[in-house]
Amino acid sequence: MAVMNIREAINKTLMDEMERDSNIIVLGEDVVGGAGTAGGQEAIGGIWGTTPGLFAKFGADRVIDTPISESAIIGAAAGAALAGKRPVAELMFADFVGVSLDQLWNQMAKFRYMFGGKTTCPAVVRLIYGAGMNAAAQHSQSVYAMLTSMPGLKVVLPATPADAKGLLTEALRGDDPVMFFEHKALYGVKGEVPDGEHRQRFGEARMVREGGDVTVVTCGRMVGFGEKAADKLAAEGIGVDLIDLRTTSPLDEEAILDSVEATGRLVVVDESPPRCSLAADIAAIVASKAFTSLKAPPAMITGPHSPIPFARELERAWVPSPQKIEDAVRQLLAFR
Amino acid sequence: MANLKPFTMPKWGIEMSEGTIAEWMVAENAQFEKGAVLALIETDKITNEVEAEAPGRFVRIMAEAGGTYAVGALLAVLSDGGEASPAEVDAIVGGFKQADTSFGTDGDDAPVVAPPPPPAPAQVAIPDDALISPVARSRAMEAGVDVATLQGSGRGGRITAQDIDQAARPAAAATLVGQFPLTPDTGAFASPMAKRLSVMHDVSLSGIEGSGPRGRIRKADVLARIVPPAQPAPPPPPLAASPIAPSAAGVTVKPMSSMRRTIARRLTEAKSTIPHFYVRRRVRADRLLALRAAVQGQRPSVNDYLIKACALALMEVPQVNIQVHGNDIHEFDSAEIAVAVATEKGLVTPIVANADRRSVSDISTVMAALAQRAKSGKLKPEEFSGGSFSLSNLGGFGVEQFDAIINPPQGAILAVGTARPEPIDDDGAIRIVPVFHLSLSCDHRAIDGADGGRFMAALANLIEHPELL
Repeated sequence: MAVMNIREAINKTLMDEMERDSNIIVLGEDVVGGAGTAGGQEAIGGIWGTTPGLFAKFGADRVIDTPISESAIIGAAAGAALAGKRPVAELMFADFVGVSLDQLWNQMAKFRYMFGGKTTCPAVVRLIYGAGMNAAAQHSQSVYAMLTSMPGLKVVLPATPADAKGLLTEALRGDDPVMFFEHKALYGVKGEVPDGEHRQRFGEARMVREGGDVTVVTCGRMVGFGEKAADKLAAEGIGVDLIDLRTTSPLDEEAILDSVEATGRLVVVDESPPRCSLAADIAAIVASKAFTSLKAPPAMITGPHSPIPFARELERAWVPSPQKIEDAVRQLLAFR
Repeated sequence: MANLKPFTMPKWGIEMSEGTIAEWMVAENAQFEKGAVLALIETDKITNEVEAEAPGRFVRIMAEAGGTYAVGALLAVLSDGGEASPAEVDAIVGGFKQADTSFGTDGDDAPVVAPPPPPAPAQVAIPDDALISPVARSRAMEAGVDVATLQGSGRGGRITAQDIDQAARPAAAATLVGQFPLTPDTGAFASPMAKRLSVMHDVSLSGIEGSGPRGRIRKADVLARIVPPAQPAPPPPPLAASPIAPSAAGVTVKPMSSMRRTIARRLTEAKSTIPHFYVRRRVRADRLLALRAAVQGQRPSVNDYLIKACALALMEVPQVNIQVHGNDIHEFDSAEIAVAVATEKGLVTPIVANADRRSVSDISTVMAALAQRAKSGKLKPEEFSGGSFSLSNLGGFGVEQFDAIINPPQGAILAVGTARPEPIDDDGAIRIVPVFHLSLSCDHRAIDGADGGRFMAALANLIEHPELL
């Protein structure tokens, strides 16, 4: 198995899949990035460095730089998907998804349903999200909970390079609109990636750590925080069931409920504000479906209900941390 | 000053009048936690553990291990943990009045470890401007919780009733399971828990058809494949208190255990005071045995089928589903079947409650658990008191037929022998099939011959048509 980081895994997967399927096109702001400006075809391949090499290999017909208009990017992707293409649209910052909500939520998500299954919408929207990079309130949000609440969209959050490959492949092979969330701070995370074809089914959570005392449910960047906390707690003999959801729609409820039945304690770690969050949703699912298994009230670790601060120290205080997870676990164990 | 209270002989079950301290598990003045086993107390039927209801210690132990004491007798003086002077302990001992433990009509079967109501806690002052809800305030006063130390979980840090309840409860000590090694990713389409269970129990996921969405293997699918582990051997019974006295001519004289004495007393009473009559019948067993043989997986025992058959027959003939109390006949609307189980210490009859409403496999599970507890002497009093009918099966020893003594206050008992091949008239042809010899012992004071006959007819029909079970 090759070792690569998430950025490389995404690039490699796009490369392989575009080679396999000529209907796949990539569009977004700067996905080509200055082709020809330096006197040649070489381009930077996006500010996140996930699309270099695509333009050189597949050309201007399949790798398209767009104007700075998220509405146009998603609208074009929706139309292209209806016309038989398999677009991969990149939103450089997921925060700006708001201006394309009609295209996304009212159109893409509903095509298959409203046309009685006579058409599909095989579009992948890559949304770069998350705090921790000192990128201020408009460039740091985690809007996956909002999109998870929209029926018709699949929502995917890889936490490892292997999952980045497996989930993106699955997204590109499927016929439904997939919201593919990439955390800015995770691009450099390295790991083994299976060679050859590797698909990771949606709705199948990953058990990251096994222990019997507390269930910690996470996704995206928070998985790594959960691992740090779990390692610290393991040294004290506290066993954490750490669940990486991988996809929030579909949601692997069974993995969560099974684990909570075994541990009786739940911590949900969610990098978004608390109101109507993924944490609230999962806590409610557990409270309503596994109430009698609970030994303590579910704990929700989210940011506060505020915009994400620009100041480094404040931003650090805003984002959930391994320490907060540890504290929550200890509190649950001490609950009487 | 420490809060002292007497520790008395508990009363388990309506017929318990005295108990023997098998062993003190906690030494005088040793601190114990809530839930700690304080003493083993032996009654006529069982040896039970007395658990601490709260942390504390014994400031004085008066009763000797091995001694037998009446229900309600003062055994020791408990402290909530604080120091107590000998004078204070003497005051408790001197002022102790044994509770009236004469038999009530009902409702006093619950174990009573005689905790007197705790003294009213000291009143705590709560400032008027404290951030606390009215209900929480009154509860805090009642429970004597010092709210100054609490951090409220309500709006704006307000102390809620739940906060008080939580503070008043003793601290929970979470028992930790800890980490276990990550199961290798089997690659099967299975939930994480299913994968974990498959590795823990060495079940291969490859052959399992998942019942989850898109054929995903779920926890339940794996659990269904797990072969239940063999029942562990019962722990050796506690050593008898009385020494074995050798006597002349190779004869060893052993005093009867208190359980043996109880069996002797009750059955002598039953056989000499209850007018028994017996109804006997042969019943072909081939269909029932064939039905049982066809069961896949965990197979109920023949006895489990017979329990169910008796239960249904009792529903058809409720005249047999009774207890006799003096001049009253108590009719039951459910079949509470006591099943005779031989243990190292003697015969006990744990009860399969509501046997008429249970499936045979359910009965099998319940019975296995009861028998296990019976053999290890861990039955709870409510698990062997009462019962509306008894079943005794000596088929396992090759016994062909026998008659059983009624287990009072029940009205009848069925004795079952082994199923032995015998010729029967099968619609004009002679066939050799396994046959049960059943013998029903009835209390003639309450049950007439015709009732017994009808019961046996119903039972025979059920056993011969086991699909009805």
